[in-house]
Amino acid sequence: MSATSIQAPPPKGFFTRLRESLFSTPVDCVVTLLCAIFFATIIYKIVDWAFLSSIWTAEDEPLCRDASGACWSVIDARHRIIFFGLFPFEEHWRSTLACIVMIATIVLSCVPWFWSAIKLSALWVLGFGVFYILMHGGVFGLSVITPERWGGLALTIFIFAAVSIFGMPLSILLALGRRSELPVIAKLFGLFIDFFRSLPLLTILFTAAIITPFILPGWLQGDKLYRVIAGFAIFFACYQAENIRAGLQAIPSGQDEAGLTLGLNYWQRITRIQLPQAFRNSLPAIVNQFVITFKETSIVTIVGFFEILASGAAAYGTGKWTVHYIEVYVFIGVIYFLFVFSLSRYGAYLEKKLRVGHG
Amino acid sequence: MGNFAASSVPAVTMSGVNKWFGDFHVLRDIDLEVADGEKVVVCGPSGSGKSTLIRCVCKLEHHQRGLINVLGTELNDDVANIDEIRREVGMVFQQFNLFPHMTVLENCTLALTLVRGASRKEAESIAMGFLEKVRIPEQATKYPGELSGGQQQRVAIARSLCMSPKIMLFDEPTSALDPEMISEVLDVMVALAEEGMTMICVTHEMGFARRVADRVIFMDAGEIVEQNDPETFFNSPENERTKLFLSQILQH
Repeated sequence: MSATSIQAPPPKGFFTRLRESLFSTPVDCVVTLLCAIFFATIIYKIVDWAFLSSIWTAEDEPLCRDASGACWSVIDARHRIIFFGLFPFEEHWRSTLACIVMIATIVLSCVPWFWSAIKLSALWVLGFGVFYILMHGGVFGLSVITPERWGGLALTIFIFAAVSIFGMPLSILLALGRRSELPVIAKLFGLFIDFFRSLPLLTILFTAAIITPFILPGWLQGDKLYRVIAGFAIFFACYQAENIRAGLQAIPSGQDEAGLTLGLNYWQRITRIQLPQAFRNSLPAIVNQFVITFKETSIVTIVGFFEILASGAAAYGTGKWTVHYIEVYVFIGVIYFLFVFSLSRYGAYLEKKLRVGHG
Repeated sequence: MGNFAASSVPAVTMSGVNKWFGDFHVLRDIDLEVADGEKVVVCGPSGSGKSTLIRCVCKLEHHQRGLINVLGTELNDDVANIDEIRREVGMVFQQFNLFPHMTVLENCTLALTLVRGASRKEAESIAMGFLEKVRIPEQATKYPGELSGGQQQRVAIARSLCMSPKIMLFDEPTSALDPEMISEVLDVMVALAEEGMTMICVTHEMGFARRVADRVIFMDAGEIVEQNDPETFFNSPENERTKLFLSQILQH
C-alpha cells in the first residue's frame, strides 16, 4: 500500500471557536454573561434614546418636553445654521453647491486616473475657482459675501481641502529639502520643520490671524481666512513632511543607484522611484495626518470663524432649543464620522492597491 | 596621452586611482585598462575593494585621486560627462534593485521613455525583445515581488540592456541567489559575452571565469595583486595571496 495521506484538520466553525474562547470554564461563563448584560444595557439605552423614545416631527420645542428620548426636531429646525453658519439665508443654495463642488474635488483627487501633476492642478484650480465664485460672489450677478460670513460645513470642508492641497506639495518639498545632500540646505529645512512642529497649532493660527497684519505689507495680507489657512497648511506640511521622510528613509539605497545607472536625473528618480515607494511605506501615517487635520479644523473657532462645531453651538444656543445640545452634538459627530470614516476606508483601499505584488 | 582613433579607444582606463572611505584606504593605486569587447572577471576576498572598483566606473562612488576614462570621456565632476558615461554603461547589482512598484515591463521601459525619449510603443517592443533574450517574456506583466531571485536578476540584466550600453558591469550578480538559480543567470551572461559585449564582472563563479573571461584580476586590500588569462591564473598563480584565495574558494 502507498503511504496514507494525512489531511489538515478541518477549520473550526464560528460557534466552536466562540464556545472555546468565551464559555470554556464557569468563571468564563460568568464574566461573559456580565459583560453581555452590561453592553446590552448601554446599547438599549442608546437605541431607546435615539430611536424608540425620540421625537422627529415636533413643530415646536415645547412638544419635545414630555419625551424621554432625543428631540431630533432641533436638527430639522436649526440645520441651516449648522450647515451654513452666518451665510445669508437666501444664498444658502450657493453654499450647498460650493460644498458639493469641494467634496467632488476631494473625491476626484482620490481617483488614481487624476494622479498626474497636470490633471490634479487643473482639477484643483477648477474646484477652488468654482467654490470661490459661489461663496464669495461678485460676478455673474451673485452678491458679494466676504469670508467672515462663511461658516458651517462649507467652511470646515474648505479649510480642510485648502490645507491639504497646499500643504501636501509643501510637505513633499520640505521632506526632500531635509534630505538634501547639501548640509546647509538640509539644516535649514530641518530647522524650519522642527520650529513649526514645536509650536501648538493654536499659536500658529493666532499669529496668522492677529499678529501677521502688523508685520506683512498690506498687499500681502489677504483676508484673515487665507492667512489662517496658510498658517495651518505650513503646520500640516511640517508634520506630513516627517511622515514622507520616514517613507523615504525606508527605501534601500540600491533603488536610487539603479535609477542613476539607468541615466535618470534627480527629478525623474524622485517622482518615479522614490516618492511612489515613500508614499506606500508611510501611507498609514499620511492618512492619519489627514484625519487629524480634518478634526483640528474646529480650532479655527478660536480666531473667530464659525466652522461646523461653532455653528452647532450657535444652533442650539438660542432661547428655546438650549436643552437639546446633545442632539446637535450627536448630529455633528455623525457628520465628522462620515468624513473621517470615508478617509480611513480610502486609506485602506490605497494600501491594498499599492501592495500589489508585494505579498 | 595616446591615439584616440575610434576603434582603438579602450573601454575603461584607470590610472593611479585611489579612494578612501574615511580613513580606510579602499583602492590603492589602481592601474587598469579594459579593451573594447574584453571580458574581465574581478575576484578577491570581501572588503578587497572589487565592488568599489566597478562602482567607480559608473560614478556610484567618487574616486579621490587618479584618472578614470570611460570610452574616451574622462570621469570628473562635470555632470554632463557623468550623464554621458552612465548612458553608455549598464550595471547589474547583487540585490537586483528592480523597482518593486512597477511591473517587469515598466521596469524595462522607464529609462527608455524618460532618458532616450522613446514612445511607449517603441519602448515596449525594445523591452520585450530583451525580455525574450533573457527568456522571461511571459513574466512581463508581473511585479518583481512575484518572481524568483533568478528571474529578477534576469529582468535586471534586460533592464540594463534596454539602454543599449557599450559596457556592462556586474557586481556579484549571483551572490544573492539560491544555488539552483545561479546557472540561469550565468547562461544569460555567457550569451551576452559571446555577442562581444565589453564586461567587467565581480564574481566568485570560477567556472564562468574560465569559460568567458579574457582576463582574471585578483584584488586584495585595495590593490590589484595579480592578473592573467584564466588558464594561467587558475593553473599557475604566482602570488601567495592569490594561491591562498584560490585554495579557499576551490577546495570544496
